[in-house]
Amino acid sequence: MVAIIEKRDLRDFDWLTTFLAVAIAGFGIWQIHNALPTESYWTKQIIGLCIAMVAFLVIAFSDYRRIIELAPFFYGFGLVLLALVLTPLGVEVNGQQAWLKLPVVGQFQPSEFVKIPTVLMLAKYFGARKSGSLSLREVLVGCAILAGPVGLIMLEPDAGQAITYFPILAAVLFLSAVQVRYVVIALLAAAIFIPASYYAGVRTGVIKRYQQERINAIIDPESADPKGFGYHTMQSIITVGKGGLSGIKGDPETSQSVLKFLPEPHTDFIFAVTAENTGFIGCVSLLIAYALLLSRLIAGARSASERPGMLVIMAIATAMVFQIFINVGMALGFLPVIGVPLPLMSAGLSAILSTFIAIGFVVSVKMRRFVN
Amino acid sequence: MKLNEHSQNLGMRIGTIQIVAFVMLGILGVRLYYLQVVKGEHYSERAENQRIRHIPIPAPRGVIFDRNGKILVDSRPTWNVVLSNEPIKKIDVTSRVEEYADGLNLEPGFVVERLDLIKKQNEFETMVLKENATMQDITWVESHSLEFPELRIENQPQRFYPHGTQLAHVLGYVGEISPKQLESTEWNEKGLKPGDIIGKGGLEQYYDEFLRGKPGYRKVIVDSRGRVQSEIGVVPAQAGQDMVSTIDLGVQLAAEQKLAESASKRGTLIAMDPNNGEILAMASLPSFDPNIFVQGSKTPEGRKQIAAYWQDEKRPLYNRAIQGRYPPGSTWKIPESVAALQQGVITVKNSNMVCGGGIQIGSKFTRCMGSHGSPPLSYAITHSCDGYYYRLALKMKVEGLIQMVETFDYDKRTGVDLPNEKVSQTPKSWKPIVEKREGRWNDIRTVFASIGQDTVVVTPISMLRAVASIGVHGKMYTPHFLKEFRPIGAIGEPDDQTYIKPRDGIPYANTEPKLIEMTPEQEEIVVQGMWAVVNGGGTGAGIRIPEFEIAGKTGTAQVAELGKDVGANKDHAWFVSFAPAFKPEIAVIALVENVGFGGSHAAPAAKGVYEAYMAGKGILPTVPASGAAEANTNSGTARAID
Repeated sequence: MVAIIEKRDLRDFDWLTTFLAVAIAGFGIWQIHNALPTESYWTKQIIGLCIAMVAFLVIAFSDYRRIIELAPFFYGFGLVLLALVLTPLGVEVNGQQAWLKLPVVGQFQPSEFVKIPTVLMLAKYFGARKSGSLSLREVLVGCAILAGPVGLIMLEPDAGQAITYFPILAAVLFLSAVQVRYVVIALLAAAIFIPASYYAGVRTGVIKRYQQERINAIIDPESADPKGFGYHTMQSIITVGKGGLSGIKGDPETSQSVLKFLPEPHTDFIFAVTAENTGFIGCVSLLIAYALLLSRLIAGARSASERPGMLVIMAIATAMVFQIFINVGMALGFLPVIGVPLPLMSAGLSAILSTFIAIGFVVSVKMRRFVN
Repeated sequence: MKLNEHSQNLGMRIGTIQIVAFVMLGILGVRLYYLQVVKGEHYSERAENQRIRHIPIPAPRGVIFDRNGKILVDSRPTWNVVLSNEPIKKIDVTSRVEEYADGLNLEPGFVVERLDLIKKQNEFETMVLKENATMQDITWVESHSLEFPELRIENQPQRFYPHGTQLAHVLGYVGEISPKQLESTEWNEKGLKPGDIIGKGGLEQYYDEFLRGKPGYRKVIVDSRGRVQSEIGVVPAQAGQDMVSTIDLGVQLAAEQKLAESASKRGTLIAMDPNNGEILAMASLPSFDPNIFVQGSKTPEGRKQIAAYWQDEKRPLYNRAIQGRYPPGSTWKIPESVAALQQGVITVKNSNMVCGGGIQIGSKFTRCMGSHGSPPLSYAITHSCDGYYYRLALKMKVEGLIQMVETFDYDKRTGVDLPNEKVSQTPKSWKPIVEKREGRWNDIRTVFASIGQDTVVVTPISMLRAVASIGVHGKMYTPHFLKEFRPIGAIGEPDDQTYIKPRDGIPYANTEPKLIEMTPEQEEIVVQGMWAVVNGGGTGAGIRIPEFEIAGKTGTAQVAELGKDVGANKDHAWFVSFAPAFKPEIAVIALVENVGFGGSHAAPAAKGVYEAYMAGKGILPTVPASGAAEANTNSGTARAID
C-alpha cells in the first residue's frame, strides 16, 4: 500500500498543512502541560503525536483511491469495533462505555476512528454518481450509512461523539447537489423540531435530568447549581475570562486547573486552559491557525481531481470545524457541556491519531490532484 | 477547479461551507473578546475570590490579674475541629451527620444544630464543630481528610479559670456569641460574626471590648474542595488588653472559704477599700465553675451540667453580692442614724429615745429584743435597740426614710463595673404601690422599715457602699474592680493595609465620690456606736481583734414570722463593718442566708476576711484556724440583744 516515495511526491507533499497541524498539536501539548504540570498527560501526548505522525505519513503517501475502494471493508470493521465496545471487552468510564480494551493494541476509543471509514463510505457512494439532483433513495442510503455508527455510539451512550458525525453527512449531501430548497426545508425543520423534541423529551422523560441541567446552565450559568454541571460551565467562563488580553502572568500553581476548579482541563476544557494561559491573543492566534488549516483543506478540495477525494476532504473539514465550534462554544459557556475533544489540542491518543489519519487522507488527495 | 463540468455550482457550495466555517470561528472570537477583554477583570477577581481564603487566627483574650499580679484568668491553647463553609456548598453535609457524630463522639442533634448555623454564615468562614479535640479526634480528622475535606483542625486559645468556682461571679465566663446577640445592633456594629467568643457575665462581659483581641488571619490558596494549598500572607492577631483588677486573691480565697464553712453555705462576702471603692474580694455562694461553660457547652455532659446550674433552686449562677436583695435588718440602722442626725430628728447632744421594750401601733405590739430604757444613739447602735429606731423612724416619718434612701443611693445602682446589678427596694419605691393597694401608708410599715424589714430589701453591695462611706467622712465611692488595662502594641506598620493600631493603657478613672453631709461630731457618735458593737461588748463582740479595731453592725433579717423562723426559713445573718474603726482601710460586708443571728454567723465570716487582709499586709503573721468556734462561744450574749 505504501508507495515508493518519489521526488514528485516530495514536491507535491502539502508541507504547510502538515506544519499547521503539527504546530497546533505542539501548542496543545504545551497547554496540556499548563493544565496539569505535575501529571504525565503532556509527555504521553508527545508520544501520541509521534505515533500519529507515522500513521499520517503512511496514509499521506498511500493512494487514497485504493483505500476508498476498500471502504466497505473498513466500514464493516468499524461497526464491529463499535459493537465490541458494547460487549464486556468495552471499558466503562463515567457511565459511558466508549472504550475498547484489546490485547496488544491497548485501550482506545473506536468512535473517534470510525469517523474515517464513515467518511470513506459516504465518499465512495456519493462520489460514484455522475450528475443531476439527488434522489430520495440516495439521501436515504446516505442516512443509512451514518445510522450504523451513530446508532451504536448512542448505545454507549456518547451523545457528544454521535453529534460530530452529522456534519459529515450534511457536508456530503450538500456537495452532492442536494437541492437548495431541501436545504432550506431541512434548516427550517431543524429550527422547529429541535426545540419541540427537546420539550417533548423533557415531558416524556427521555431527556434526563442531568442533560436538562446542562442546557439550563447555558441559559443562566450564574445561578446554576454549584454541585451540578452549571458549576463546570461557570468555572470554564471564569477561567477563560481570567486570562484577559494576554494570559495570566506569574504563578501557575494558582491556575484554575491546578486548583481543580476547572474539570477535565487536559481534555474537554483544554481551550479554557489555553485562554487562561495565553489570553485573548493566544486564543485568537489559535483560531486563526485553525482557520488557515481549514482554508488549506478546502483549497485542496477545490483542486481535487475526483469527486470522492473532494468529498473526503470537505467531510473531514466540516466535521473538524463543527467539533471546534462545539468544544470551544462549551468552554466559552454558550453551548452545553458535552464531551467532544478539541481537534489536535485535547489530550488523548485516539483523538490525535484519528485527526492525523484524516489529515493524512487530505494530503494524499492533494498529492494526487494531477491526473496521471 | 476540475470538477466543474459535472457539478451544480460545486464551487459555490464549497465556498458556502467555507463561509459557514469562518462565521463559526468568528462567533467564537467575538465571545472570546467579550469574556476576556470586556469582562476579563471581573472574572479575574472572581477567580481570585474563589481561590483565596482568609483563615482566622484567633486573638487571645487579655489576662486578668489580681492587684498583686497573680493570674485570675488566662488562656491556654486548645485544638478545635472546624467545618469550613466553602466545600460544604458542593456537598450535602446533612448526609454526614451520623459520620461526624460517630467519628467525633458528638450528639447527632448537636451536629445538626451546627450545620444549620453554618448555613446562615457568610462565605469563607469556619464554624467550630468540636472544641477541645482529643488526640483521637485529631487523628480521625487527619485520616479522613480525603473523605471529609471540609473538616480541619484549628488552634484556638481557650479561656481558663485556674481558681474554678472561686471568684466565678466576678469574672464571669466566655462563650460563643448567640444568634440573638448577633442580630442586635449593639453587637452588630462591632463586626462580630457567628462563632466569635465574647464575655458572658462578670468582668468578662463588662470589659469585653478591652479584653477581646482582634483576630488576625492567614491568607491561603485553596483548591476547589477548600483544601489549603499554600500560604501567601499572615496578619497576626492582636491580643486583648491585660486587666489588672483590684482583687486581692488572698482576701478573696479567705472570703470564699468562710462562706463555704458557714452553716447554710449560701451568702456573700464583699471587701472594699472605703477610700477609693476598690473591691478586694467579692464572693457569692453557691458558685459555679466557669470552665464548664467554656469547655462543656459542646459536649452532652457539659450541657447537662450547665442545665443543672440553671435549674438549681439555690441559684448558683446568681451573684448574691449585686443581684441578691435581702431585708437588711439592723444593718439598716447605721444609714438611718446618719439620716436622722442630718434631718435634725435627733442631735449629737440629745440623741436619746425611749426603748419601751417595743411599741404599740393600733392593736399590734411590736417588740424590742430587750429593754433598754431611754438610750442615746451610740448605745442603741451598739446593742441594736429596736424600740429606739421604731420611735426614731416615726419621728422621721416615711418621708424622712425616703430622704435617707435618696441620700445613700438606695434607689440607684451603685455603678459597680459588673453587668446586671439590681436596684434595692425601699419605702421610696414601695410607698406608691402600698398607697394604691391599701389606701394609705400605715405607721406600722414605718416601724417595720425602721429595722430594715417589710418594704426594705437591699443589695449587699449598696449596703456596703453606704456604710463604708461613714468611716471616711461621708465619701461614697463607686465600687469597682478595674485598676488598669495594660497597653498592647500595634500589629504591622501604619502604612500597611492590615495595620492594627496599638491600644493604650487605661487606668481606672475614679469619679468624684458622692458626699454624705455629716459634722465630725455626728460621724463620731455613729462610728463610736459601731466600734462598741465589736469592741465594747456589743452584738459583734465575739470577733474582736485587739490590734485591728473593727467598727461594725450586725443584722438578723427575718425571712418568716416569729415562730416559723426555723430550718430553711431561719433568719439571714448580716454584718457590715470597716476597720480600723477610726481610720478605715478596708470595709467588709457579710451576708449568710438562713442561718440565724448576724453576730454569730455573719460577723465571724467577716472576721476571717479581716484576718486574711492583715496576713497579706504582714500585720498578722498567720491566719488563726477559724474564727467561727470562738464566735460561737460568745453567741449567747450576742443573740439576746441583736
